[in-house]
Parts: sequence; C-alpha cells; structure tokens
Amino acid sequence: MTAPEAIVVQGLSKTYNGSVKAVENISFSVHAGEAFGFLGPNGAGKTTTVAMLTAGLLPTAGNARVDGVDVFAQPEALKQRIGLVFQESTADSDLTGRENLDLAAALFNVPRREVRRRVDELLERMQIGDAADRLAKTYSGGMRRRLELAVGIIHSPRVLFLDEPTLGLDPQGRAGFWRYVQELRKDHGMTVFVTTHYLDEADSLCDRLAIIDHGHIVATGTPSELKDRLGGDVVTIRPVRPDPRTEELLRAVPGVVSVSAQDGTFRVKGPQGEALVPALVEACARSSIGLAGVSLKRPSLDEVFLEFTGREYREDEGMTATDRAVRIGQFQQAAGRARR
Amino acid sequence: MIRELGALTRRELLRMARNPQAIVTSLLLPILYLVLFGQAFNLENLGSGQIPPAYFLMAFRGAPSYFSYFAAGMTGFVAVTATLFIGANVIFDRLFGVLKRTAATPATATSIFGSRLLAGMIQPIGLAFLVLGLAILLGHLGLAGLSVTASVSFLGAAEVVLAIVLLSAMFASLFIAIGFSLEQPQTYFAVVNAINLPVLLTSAALFPWGTMPVWFQNIASYNPITLAVNVLRENLFAGSSAYYPYDPAVYLLGLFVWGVAMFIVAVLLARRALAPRK
Repeated sequence: MTAPEAIVVQGLSKTYNGSVKAVENISFSVHAGEAFGFLGPNGAGKTTTVAMLTAGLLPTAGNARVDGVDVFAQPEALKQRIGLVFQESTADSDLTGRENLDLAAALFNVPRREVRRRVDELLERMQIGDAADRLAKTYSGGMRRRLELAVGIIHSPRVLFLDEPTLGLDPQGRAGFWRYVQELRKDHGMTVFVTTHYLDEADSLCDRLAIIDHGHIVATGTPSELKDRLGGDVVTIRPVRPDPRTEELLRAVPGVVSVSAQDGTFRVKGPQGEALVPALVEACARSSIGLAGVSLKRPSLDEVFLEFTGREYREDEGMTATDRAVRIGQFQQAAGRARR
Repeated sequence: MIRELGALTRRELLRMARNPQAIVTSLLLPILYLVLFGQAFNLENLGSGQIPPAYFLMAFRGAPSYFSYFAAGMTGFVAVTATLFIGANVIFDRLFGVLKRTAATPATATSIFGSRLLAGMIQPIGLAFLVLGLAILLGHLGLAGLSVTASVSFLGAAEVVLAIVLLSAMFASLFIAIGFSLEQPQTYFAVVNAINLPVLLTSAALFPWGTMPVWFQNIASYNPITLAVNVLRENLFAGSSAYYPYDPAVYLLGLFVWGVAMFIVAVLLARRALAPRK
C-alpha cells in the first residue's frame, strides 16, 4: 500500500520583481512519514520553496497542499499543522529557553494542561534542561539550534520543515541535531522536509531526495536510485605514461559500462567495482601498460549532482576537496559517536 | 486570541523589564527637563514682584507656579519617550528573526500588534508616576517643585491615569506603525526624532498657555500631548477648571479619537507587514 502524500506540489513558480525566476514550475510529492531532502547549492531555490510551502511567500503560479491543506487558501490552518525551523536563529534572546517554549506553546494553542509536561520533555530531550532558565542569548550555537527545533515541534506538527537547520554548526552539533530529528520521526511518525546543501547529511538521513538547481528540479529519487542512475561504481585508472591503446583495452573488459578519459586518467564505470579492479589491472598488465594508480569509488551524491547538473557541486565556495573530505570524515565520526 | 494576546504581551513586558537601559533612557529626557530646564526657567521670578500673581495664574492656567505647570507637561511627555522603544522593538524583532518566527505561528497580526500596544500602554503609567513623584520631591528638597493644590478625587485620579494610557496608546500605535513600515533602526530613530521635537514644541507641555499667540494656541489645542496635560492640570490644580473651556472628559474624548485613528493606521500596516510576502 502506498503511503498518503503529506506534501503535493504542482507547477509551483516564483518570480521576483517580474524577472528573477527563483523557482520555475516545480512539481513533486512527499509521502507521509518520509524524510525528504531538497538538495541544491546556494541560490538554487530551496529557501524560496520552503517559504512558499509554509505560507510565508505567495507563489507566482502553481498550487501546493500540505497535510491535505491548501497552502495558499488556508494559511492559518496550515500553520497549526506544520513546524518550521529557519536557517537563522529566531528564538527570542531576551527570554529563557523555557519562556521561548511557553510562548510557542501558547501561540500554537497547545492545551494548557499539557504545556508544562511537553516543555519539560523537550528541554530534556534537546539537552538544554540545565539551561532552561537561562536567557537564550547565553546559549551556544548548538544549544540555540536545539532550542529552535524544540520551538518548531512544541505542538507536535504533522509535517516539519527544516530550512538548512545545521548551517554553521560543527560536525558534532550537526550529528546531534539529526539524531533528535530521527528520534522524532521514529516516535511521532512526523514527515520531515529538509533543505540542505550538505550532501553527506542528505545521503545518510533522507529517504528520498529532489535535486534543485537554478529553480528547476533536475532529479528525484532515493539516494540509492540516484546513485544507481550513474551506472555503478567508478574505477579510476592512471597509467604511468600515455598509451593510445588504453581506452579501447579498458572498454573490452567484461562488466565495463563506460570509459571516459581526462588528462591522461580513465574513469571506468561498472556495476561491480570490486570485481572490475583486478580484471582491469590484469588487462593493463597483459598489454604491458604500467599503472601509476588505481582507485575505486562508490558513487556519491557529489557525482549525482555532477551527472544531473553538468557541473561540480558548489557546496561551500572556496572549499578544497581535501577540506571537504576532512569535514565529511568529521561528520561521519561524530554521527558514529552520536549513534553510540 | 485572548491566550496568544496574553502570551505575547507578557513577552513584551518581560523584554522591557530585562532591558533597564530603555527605561532609563525613557526617563532621562523628562528628568533632565525637570532638574535643569524647570529649575532655571522660573518665570514667576520675572518682573521682581511687579507682575500681579493673577497674571501668572492666568498664564499657567491655574497652576501655582511655572514649574508645577511644566511638571504636569513632562508627566505627559513621558508617554512619548517611553513608547518610542515599542516601535524600535518591532524593527529589532524583524532584524533578529523574532517577527518571522511569530508570523510562522497561527498568531494573528492583530494579536501581534495588540500585544505591543498593550505593553506600550502599561509601561508608561509607572514611569509617568515616577516623574510626577520626582517633581513633588524636588519641592521638598528646597528646589522648585510640583505643588498639587487640588484634592484629587478617585475620579480625578482615574482621569489622570486614563489620559496617560490614551496618550501612550496613541504614540505607541504611531511608533509601532513606523516600526512596521521601516527596516533599519537608524532610519527609525531619525524619523522618530523628527516627530518628537515638533510634537513637543507644538504642545502646551512646555510653554505657558497665556504667553502663546492665538494661532499657536489653536495649533496646540489639537495636539494630543496638550489634550492629556489639560486633563492632568485640571485635576492637579485647584480652581484651574476656570481656565479651561472644557471638562477633562472632552479632552479624553479627543485623545480617544487620536488613539483610534493611529490604531487603525498601525493595524493596517502591521497586517501588511505580517502577510505572506508577494
């Protein structure tokens, strides 16, 4: 049985000042209980889409339903059903953590008899119980993010929108934040719509993804499906010296789907990377082609993005590949610690 | 609606209480006027006793001294200086995302505006009575001070409080409306300063009524600060009613009309500011 749709978007467009097309004719749906990632670089249209889906911005065209509610015809009903965590901090600095939650509970009409219990529970769960009566302005970045999440879910929304919620957090803070989100999904069956430009987060946390670029959705699917569309693993072969026979030779190896050459290096795609490596090495050895290096890479969302948009992912402008690898490693380590 | 209004008003009052700088700044100008301007500007000393006291009584509309007349004016002026920060808070709340967060909840624009208005009406009452108390205290310290020559009835006290509340409501609405219309704090303070001084100078808060030319009296008669201080002076100074053409109730009505007009403008601007962006 197919899960009912929590979010249905049809032909949604937003043009600013009559000419700047931020989002153009996007359509997609999100199943109830699913974690759906909206992935794209800065300026791709992610925040504009969230603003429209949460009744903060009127579209130029199109329509959307969230939890069965027409977003643009019934904004008040919508706001009661959704939670929203902005990318910037919006908690009131002059109130304590508890006062922020009490205020949100009143605004979302949480039954009075439940407020105390729910506030205490969220403060504990988000690990800000000890700082509950301190002004929010004294909180660290991670604590503020967790407070934002608590404020966003005080009324147990059916659908939770997270707009770049971990922006600016260190890897450990990000891992912790996602752990809370996963717990909420597990406990309450909440649908989560998250925008992020962290590919590693999207890969490990989302059930399905949409890749948005320049206001258009260029691909949707589960992380595995998107990677599978690339044609399998990638083996990179770097010969010691150029040999005109190499490409033809590699292409003839059984299991090879495609071979592309760039700057004397060959990218060989195939479904079974581990089995392919010895066959490729042996084929080169038989033809006396010396190898300076061989590497096997599972397809990542970076490559998915490259495949669908035709260019490298602009995750963090100016970040080198090494920096990114280090950061991803830190995130994975922190995620491991958080899971333990 | 009542619950969200109460919660948002509590938030505004907590913020005010936790930012004593705003309270001190609100009081600074009226207090400086009292301890400097009011002490130096002793009009009744002019003429070395040549001018009959009846003239001063007429000039100060029944107040026993210029300082007493002026102190009532400063009490009204507090409503202006105290509500100024209510509008500024709208700008800061927008800059720091708090307004965006509130707009993402089911809270209505009317509640979001109304809570700020309520807080803006509550806070100046205490500050106005602080200024009034200080003005009386100065007289007991051997300085020029406020002499309350009438026995203030319960109804009179209620009229005084109502005048301050209505004047505060009117200026809070005005400043909130400006806060919802502007985005930068520096622009806000420039606009508010450009409003404050002309409003004060075209009122009867500072200048003796009897020395004003008729055209100035005509302008000052409609100034909301004048309307409020008329209520205060009629209630604080014995026999002063003879110098006013109307009862305090009429001035309160005038203040109410001002308040409603500003309220409507501010609600419309708040709704526009909190509606989904186009």
